[in-house]
Amino acid sequence: MTIIRKFAACAVALGALGTATAVIAEEKPTIVTVVKVTGENWFTRMEEGVVAYGKDNAGVVTSQIGPAKADAAQQARLIEDLVAKKVSAIAVVPMDASALEGVLKRAAQRGIKVITHEADSMKNTMVDIEAFDNKVFGARFNEKIAECMGKSGKWTSFVGSLGSLTHVQWADGGAENAQKYPEMELVSEKNESFNDANKAYEKAREILRKYPDIKGFQGGSAVDVIGIGRAVEEAGLQDKTCVFGIGLPKDTGSYLESGAVDGISFWDPKDAGFVMNKVADMVLKGEEIKDGMDLGVPGYEKVSVKKGAGEGVILVGQAWVDVNKSNYSQYPF
Amino acid sequence: MQFRVDRQLGFLATVNIAVLVGGGVLVGASFLDIYNLQSMASQVPELGLLALGVMLAMMSGNGGIDLSGIALANLSGVFAYIVVRDHVSADDTPLLFSWAFAGVALLVGLAGGMLNGLLVARAGLTPIIATLGTQLFFTGLAVALTNGSAVSLGYVEPLDNFGNTPMLGVPQCFALFLAVALVLGVVLRFSPFGLRLRLLGSNAKAARFAGIPEKRILFLTYTACGVLASVAGIVIAARSSSVKWDYGSSYVLIAILIAVMAGVRPEGGYGRVICVVLSATALQMLSSLFNFMDISNFFRDLAWGVLLLAFLAQSQFDPRAWFKALRR
Repeated sequence: MTIIRKFAACAVALGALGTATAVIAEEKPTIVTVVKVTGENWFTRMEEGVVAYGKDNAGVVTSQIGPAKADAAQQARLIEDLVAKKVSAIAVVPMDASALEGVLKRAAQRGIKVITHEADSMKNTMVDIEAFDNKVFGARFNEKIAECMGKSGKWTSFVGSLGSLTHVQWADGGAENAQKYPEMELVSEKNESFNDANKAYEKAREILRKYPDIKGFQGGSAVDVIGIGRAVEEAGLQDKTCVFGIGLPKDTGSYLESGAVDGISFWDPKDAGFVMNKVADMVLKGEEIKDGMDLGVPGYEKVSVKKGAGEGVILVGQAWVDVNKSNYSQYPF
Repeated sequence: MQFRVDRQLGFLATVNIAVLVGGGVLVGASFLDIYNLQSMASQVPELGLLALGVMLAMMSGNGGIDLSGIALANLSGVFAYIVVRDHVSADDTPLLFSWAFAGVALLVGLAGGMLNGLLVARAGLTPIIATLGTQLFFTGLAVALTNGSAVSLGYVEPLDNFGNTPMLGVPQCFALFLAVALVLGVVLRFSPFGLRLRLLGSNAKAARFAGIPEKRILFLTYTACGVLASVAGIVIAARSSSVKWDYGSSYVLIAILIAVMAGVRPEGGYGRVICVVLSATALQMLSSLFNFMDISNFFRDLAWGVLLLAFLAQSQFDPRAWFKALRR
């Protein structure tokens, strides 16, 4: 009896696997993009770019995968299996760059080309792609805040966490720019929201209580402006404050409408996905990544290339997109 | 006491073989080549060690569970690195650094496990509440020590070799996992401690009247869980060359899944180490197979659920009894 059951179980297991998918033998080079987590709007939009590159270029096969939960360990395991599978190139948006150094080193040892995004401290990468220079990005926010608040008054900045390098760079870039305007006063800078709109809301309320005359807010994580916007709206200060920061059009739409948030900036993940695959393809073909080259994508027409933390290079674009009340609805994410 | 092949073990072994054969058929030779076998083997220990801890806690009965495993693993790595880097140079004496790192990590695991043991055995707290509390405590400590960011160990040759280089074809961390499992298996089967643990788990009241030192057994069990977690922490540090408080935040549930799939009775009293090992390898191979076949990770979560239900069903379903009942 048990023998039969075992064979039956065997057959069921094999059958289930067999129906799950049919595997195609591929001769073409494969570029796999590994994102932080599957199912988030941001990375769904990125997948559009990844798929678009594959469609435009019949010579390569592109695909995007990511863990179901945002966990550096799960992402490392995915890459581990890709290395064993020996794909041609891996393009990664690391959850935590330092946790991936080991596995990406092994990837390179197996002859796999490694491209990263948003990881300028990464050592084991050939090309790291940054949508823009983070300091300049922060300064741009500040410039808009300054203009909006008439170059005088109190303002503050938010970060996802003090550990998020890019957020801190944006806040610092903003503060540096504000020094041009002696009338502007930075108060209780770099409030941590821990990437949680509710925490940002509570922090913003505290600040509004402490500095009722505050005029400017600079958001750091993508949800900061939502929390700040809610606090501003509740206090009825839509017209007296200037809120700028990184954010997504879909999430921030209602606050842009009410004027609680004055403007948001972001980079289009679709373009980033496309560029990652394009650069991976170039590296596979042995083409040189040159300073000032044109990748044919808005914001990446004249990229700058500098030396990275390891052997590789960092490629920087000017791929920011600014939206406000008038044009946010053009972006479906 | 001889080696028994019971239904659970037979089923798990069959699943392992089926996945390997299935992988060979569906993906081709690349799934069965030595590189992938090594790659899969070296991914097993992190979760496998945590699952062994969960097994021990579950066996002790009274709703025993250890939710703090991965948190303690991360804390061990973080604490060990912060202490050791100030006293031993990783560049000048890498071997000493690695051993010191492992030693301190084990001590942290021992201390953390003892804390769990005290809460469960002495204070008499429900294990799920006690270990949820210590999980938050360990995580919080690790955040405070690192300000929430990852700490990179850099390239420490002996540690890196341990995590990534096979010796005689077997990844070293996998060999360590097997060794730990073997020791644990022998202890559970042949030592008085193992017998008492199983008795305590199956019927706490009877065990108490039989004079089994309940508190001491529980204390030892949770302490062992902590030590196993810190070994997992060493493996994580070696393999990712970094330590961070939130690494493997999805591991808590997967470790429980492995233990339950291995037939460990959540009510306590029964669990076999070899089944946990086979359950961990089956899960890893299936997971890698899905990756090779580009199957969505959401499908994988679903597959785990189906697999777990199937395992539970097969352990409850005894065809002989069923037929007997029909005849009656």
